[in-house]
Amino acid sequence: MVLRIYCWLLWLYPGSHRDKFGEEMTCVFREARSTVAPALTAKISFYRREFCGLLFGALRAHFERPFGPDIPFWRFYMQPEFRFPRSTVLLMLLIFAAVVLAIAEASSVAGDMSGSAWRSLVSLLLVMLLAMCTAAAVIWGILHARRRSGVYRLQNVHS
Amino acid sequence: METFALSEPVLLVLLSLAEQPRHGYSILKDVESMSNSRVLLSTGTLYGALQRLLYNGWIERLEEHNSPRDRRTYRLTSRGRRNLQMEIQRMRHLTKVAGLRMARKEA
Repeated sequence: MVLRIYCWLLWLYPGSHRDKFGEEMTCVFREARSTVAPALTAKISFYRREFCGLLFGALRAHFERPFGPDIPFWRFYMQPEFRFPRSTVLLMLLIFAAVVLAIAEASSVAGDMSGSAWRSLVSLLLVMLLAMCTAAAVIWGILHARRRSGVYRLQNVHS
Repeated sequence: METFALSEPVLLVLLSLAEQPRHGYSILKDVESMSNSRVLLSTGTLYGALQRLLYNGWIERLEEHNSPRDRRTYRLTSRGRRNLQMEIQRMRHLTKVAGLRMARKEA
């Protein structure tokens, strides 16, 4: 059963990677699984590591196709000293809440929408998008002027 | 030295192959043993690293007639060995500097 899930997850990899390493990876997984300690915690840890590694590896393999093996932004992963600022967590929570609210609101109004309502909604969304892009550009400009933008943070990471 | 981000797992994979050619499972176990079970590679991580090292020509896959498709052996190339030696040299220098700095701080 677990081996079947593993083989199924291998389909997340690009075809070329799967053809080259698929059989080997399955074989190594089978061997590694047979030597895991019988304790439940050891098994959980092993499967968590394997499946997370597989998902992460598949994601990376897809990025490697256009960018090559040395993906520029993947260096975040390679740089243990890099930490996202704490405010990122709050920002991400806010964005997540906004997305959930927007989905709930959209599903409630989706039922009784006429053609003109759709047009006004599209124009409203376009205006909102434009406003958000402008706000983002202004904020980035301020951060860049104060030397606190991502460009400077990256320079600090690599130096 | 070539610009190639050497993470700890990649370094351990290279060190494992520096001793002798190995197949996937053997590398996995050797890395675990070298790091006193601190670095436990998943197959996804291992084959991602092997793919990048193959692409950069640091290792090569041995084509043996009698080896099954699911048990291929990998070997360090001369280019890989040279780069590994330079990385070790860099680490040795760093350790020396760290030792000196710590000694100066304690004195």
